[in-house]
Amino acid sequence: MPDTAATYTFPKRDLLQIEGLHPFDIQSILDLAEQYATATRNGQRPDPVLAGKTVVNLFFENSTRTLSSFEIAARRLGADVVSMPVAQSSVKKGETLIDTAMTLNAMKPDALVIRHSASGGVALLSRKVDCCVINAGDGTHEHPTQGLLDALTIRRTKGRVEGLNVLICGDILHSRVARSTTQTLHLLGARVTLCGPRTLIPPGAENWGAEIVTTDFDAALPGKDVVMMLRLQLERMDGAFVPSRREYFRYFGLTTERLARAHPDAIVMHPGPMNRGIEIQSVIADGERSVITEQVEMGVAVREAVLHLLAGNRA
Amino acid sequence: MSLSIYNARLIDPATNLDAPGALLIEKGKIKAVDPGRATPHEGARETLDARGFCLAPGLIDLRVKTGEPGDEQKETLETASRAALAGGVTSFVVMPDTQPVIDDVALVRFIDDRAKASAKARIYPAAALTAGLKGEAIAEIGLMAEAGAVLFTNGDWPVANANVMKRAMAYAASRNVTVMSRPDERAITGSGVMNAGALAARLGLSGLAREAEWIGVSRDLLLAEITGCRLIVDQISTTRTLDLVQQARVRGIDVHTTIAAHTLFFNENDIGNYLTYCKVNPPFRDEDNRRQLVSALKRGEIDVVVSAHDPQPPEEKRVPIAEAAFGAAGIETLLPALTTLHSQGTLSLIEALAPVTCRAAELLGLPQGRLKIGAPADLVLFNPAKPWLCEREYLHSRSTNSPFDGRTLDGRVHRTLVAGETVFEAVTASAGNKAGG
Repeated sequence: MPDTAATYTFPKRDLLQIEGLHPFDIQSILDLAEQYATATRNGQRPDPVLAGKTVVNLFFENSTRTLSSFEIAARRLGADVVSMPVAQSSVKKGETLIDTAMTLNAMKPDALVIRHSASGGVALLSRKVDCCVINAGDGTHEHPTQGLLDALTIRRTKGRVEGLNVLICGDILHSRVARSTTQTLHLLGARVTLCGPRTLIPPGAENWGAEIVTTDFDAALPGKDVVMMLRLQLERMDGAFVPSRREYFRYFGLTTERLARAHPDAIVMHPGPMNRGIEIQSVIADGERSVITEQVEMGVAVREAVLHLLAGNRA
Repeated sequence: MSLSIYNARLIDPATNLDAPGALLIEKGKIKAVDPGRATPHEGARETLDARGFCLAPGLIDLRVKTGEPGDEQKETLETASRAALAGGVTSFVVMPDTQPVIDDVALVRFIDDRAKASAKARIYPAAALTAGLKGEAIAEIGLMAEAGAVLFTNGDWPVANANVMKRAMAYAASRNVTVMSRPDERAITGSGVMNAGALAARLGLSGLAREAEWIGVSRDLLLAEITGCRLIVDQISTTRTLDLVQQARVRGIDVHTTIAAHTLFFNENDIGNYLTYCKVNPPFRDEDNRRQLVSALKRGEIDVVVSAHDPQPPEEKRVPIAEAAFGAAGIETLLPALTTLHSQGTLSLIEALAPVTCRAAELLGLPQGRLKIGAPADLVLFNPAKPWLCEREYLHSRSTNSPFDGRTLDGRVHRTLVAGETVFEAVTASAGNKAGG
């Protein structure tokens, strides 16, 4: 069914980060993902391009939505899927990360989907295995499939990415989503603004592909076609990085009044899980401008595309 | 018991000597230094034609960590000594952050005894400034100094409490000993991994901010001024730190600085794709800063270059970088790092060697580190231009976590002597790079 896969070959063995990808690669992944998304909406079952392949999900950090999304994507393509909640297994017994990787590698999987709490942890594992590796989030470094699903969601909703004004607001410092999504959207020609409290904006954020980095949410909103709110960990709001939840909501919470400053057709996004009432008002999260559930839907499609291109096209 | 080394290029930073000549060793000491002499000394029992080689004082390294006692799988005094001698280092100071911590007289003597029994290099113990390095109680500074401790330091664990530091420095001043302190405000550095800045943010790694060093050094300089304590600022990594030190010197404070050789060589980009061998503290900073530090060294504004040798086995380094141990094995590459800077045209050989010979000796009050009649015949013969590929598997340290792994360096040791005895000799050219001891 999907014809992109027939004509396009992903140039790397692994998908570890958006950095270093070419816009053409991103467009190609999105094209294939779009075909999967459309097929699913039409109730079509995709070709079992991963039949006979083994996909191992190795999550060193707890996750429900990303793990489920990868599992469903791999199963839809006919793969045998093993999900290993490593947070509770041998790692606790003192086995090193590399020992775990070499053990798994000896079982000859076709693809490893890895999430790890350390930046660079997935890259380290990828160097020790023979199969393709997909980064499902490493520390505060990158979460490439999130960047891709955000781009796909925008592309499907707005019809394009190029030239759009996108505002990403929240904890930029600790966000792998901000890093991956900013780079993805920049490569596709969007104009990205990053916004957050001064203590949560890292140095050099303007080099990620964002046109503007600001601490003034209200001033940043006018003209924005996309407003993406990031999750702020509750423990970072008790004086460590910002004084309190209510002060955060006062300056950086997305309210109906604030959203009215953006472009009238602006869509609202959130990578989840949300802190309702802290970074986003419930009425917006559940409102008609919100595409948050579409993001989840596109997540599966993007992961189908990535698994197909990395694991399915290999002999 | 005499050896004449002739046809050498004599390099003595203490006297600015850089000339062809010959040197005579007798009974472990330098008997004669003869620039211009082209023939061996008459009557010498042995002669050595050193054509093509520089003859310089053996290097003195003020900051070395081994794993002895407590972590012998990392390094012992004996393996560190072998690595040192292969790199032309004939004297070195070992840090007190071992298990147990070197914080009493018996342990100072233990290091001394073990060194004399197992190592051919001269090894000097540094002792803990505070008991257990806990930063709470002053260690037995006077007694340990009598037992042979040459420096007092809290090693990698700077004293956080300013009042404890003030008392320790005041006490040290009264015993007339030298305190070496890492300028590092840990409340700022926290769990940082690499130089704070855009690259760290991009890689998703927490940063080691430069201001932690500035705040740390500012405090220590003020306390040195108040207490009159002689201070060595351990491993500076920014030029602004040097500015602060310079201002203190103007006020008459007895302060000296060291820098790690790898800091002169690498910048933050070398950490590349999360390369744990480049995880050191202080971290590699930006390239402009590195170049300015080399210039400062050239101008003599940095007193001493150290290896900051910190052996770490694979299990401490083959993990995600945030979890990896700090530290680089560096004692064997100290001289090659400096000669490589020389061959890049930035430093003369005298400028490159003074910080690891006479200036280090002066700080500790040691008689070696110069080509002087009567000084111990601790010497290194090396070819300053010889290129070689540094490969970790051929290094002599028990742990080979070298950031120089895979790099070509200029300058290689040919022979090392301690007290006139050859203690290391490179194997001949046919064995090429895979030189052993």
